[in-house]
Amino acid sequence: MTLVQALAYFTREALLNLVRGWKVSLLAILTITVSLFLTGVFLLVSNNLGAVIDGWRAESKVVIYLEPGAESQAIADLEETLRQAPGYERVALIDVVTARQRFEQAFPSMADLLEGWGEEPLPRSLELSLTTERLQDPNLGTWLESLRQNPVVMMVDDDRDWLDQLEAVVLVLRGLALMVGGILLATAMFTISSVIRLTAYLYRDEIAVMRLVGATEFFIRGPFYLEGLLQGLVGGSLAIGSLWTIFSVAKSQSTSLLTSILASEFLTWSSSLGLVALGGLAGLVGAVASLSRETLESPKAEEPPADWNEEDS
Amino acid sequence: MIELYNVTKRYPGGQLGLSDVSLKIAKGQLVFLTGASGAGKSTFLKLIYCEEVPTEGNILVNGRNVSSLPRNKIPYLRRTIGVVFQNFRLIPRKTVFENVAYLPRILGLDRKNQKKLAYETLRQVGLAHRINAFPVQLSGGEQQRVAIARALINQPEILLADEPTGNLDPELSEEILRLLLDINLRGTTVIFATHDRDLITRVGHRVLTLREGSLADDRELPGSFYSQEADKTGPAPSEEAH
Repeated sequence: MTLVQALAYFTREALLNLVRGWKVSLLAILTITVSLFLTGVFLLVSNNLGAVIDGWRAESKVVIYLEPGAESQAIADLEETLRQAPGYERVALIDVVTARQRFEQAFPSMADLLEGWGEEPLPRSLELSLTTERLQDPNLGTWLESLRQNPVVMMVDDDRDWLDQLEAVVLVLRGLALMVGGILLATAMFTISSVIRLTAYLYRDEIAVMRLVGATEFFIRGPFYLEGLLQGLVGGSLAIGSLWTIFSVAKSQSTSLLTSILASEFLTWSSSLGLVALGGLAGLVGAVASLSRETLESPKAEEPPADWNEEDS
Repeated sequence: MIELYNVTKRYPGGQLGLSDVSLKIAKGQLVFLTGASGAGKSTFLKLIYCEEVPTEGNILVNGRNVSSLPRNKIPYLRRTIGVVFQNFRLIPRKTVFENVAYLPRILGLDRKNQKKLAYETLRQVGLAHRINAFPVQLSGGEQQRVAIARALINQPEILLADEPTGNLDPELSEEILRLLLDINLRGTTVIFATHDRDLITRVGHRVLTLREGSLADDRELPGSFYSQEADKTGPAPSEEAH
């Protein structure tokens, strides 16, 4: 028998097994679907959140608030210092009027808070843009600390702290995806393994005959392995299909900021195919694990023959 | 063709299946294997088709030592040996054709050739007209003939029959016996395990008697079966008879 013939036979038998035992097969497929769907949800959310954080990090600035009485020359000297700094991109002086306008635009409902002050309440500042590499440089903190010692500097603010906290959230989400996905996938493998073992048990009379007439182990086990693989692939495909459907609906129907952040991009093709492949692998591993030699062995292979009778002998 | 040298089989529980058996069976011979239940008949047959491995000794089939045959080589040996059992071991959910055509399917024959081969073999046992029936629709004798067809489909050099008439009434037993003798006459080595002494006495041939796993007797018996058959006008159970 050629490999093509064998594969055709395996496929036919595996599909027949799936159809004959459709209830237990469906259970196995749904277990895989649920586990990969939840893994996909965690991946989707963490990927989108990670992308948002990366965008924010790329656009983040260092804001240096100046003392109200700082002299122009001192500010110019500070600007020059900033231009010489590693990773420098640009620096802009934000005067008090611009600062007020920005506040009023960003928080129109709180604009009246700025009324009634004798002088402009918001300080001048220097907005420093740095390269992404410099923003991720662990030595940046030390350099910012040195800036804080400058007498014209009132306060130095940068986005790194809260971006780092958000990144920690993404890491936790990814860890959860791995953990929950791993546990559910193990459950799915166990289910598939049980289903395949049950199928093998139901067909053990046929397996015994096949073995008797000279079928190889490859020929006997092949359909069961393919059955596990198919259950995993179908489960994985259903998981990705469901995830995509829910993602599409959420993206088109919802107007909330949170949804637009968490569901901005679907999983990449490679991630989607990876999840489907993971389902297939789980199914195959479940099938291989279920079909030990003992499972397929005829029940009395290592026992005395059926007609054994101590009294007679 | 089949040679046993000091073969002993002891089961994990300590029971002795076969004890220090040595013998030779020539190609094309018909041999009856007899003894009480538990005497070792089934063990003897299982050792030949490698369902069991001897604890001691060597078994040669066609000059090849099968007592130490690697697991992955066993299927190829079994394709040259047909085995028939008392309980037929047919798959009830499969048709006669599907039951008979396992080996052609394993060998990769297309469905048309599987069907052709199954039909030819079923014709030899007189059941070609029942090719699409299910086992439950057949009589005991017919079911055993299907099992024999399954064993014969690859034209094996050896046919092992483990109490093939044990579940059949005397008339059907006679039918199966005649069929197996006919197969032997075509050149196949047949080892027929039975505890039916009457049947053995009537047919004659070489008789091996096992007792508590040991070979207690090995003799040629004269029989009257062939002379009785010659007196009969009815043909052997072939498709033409149906």
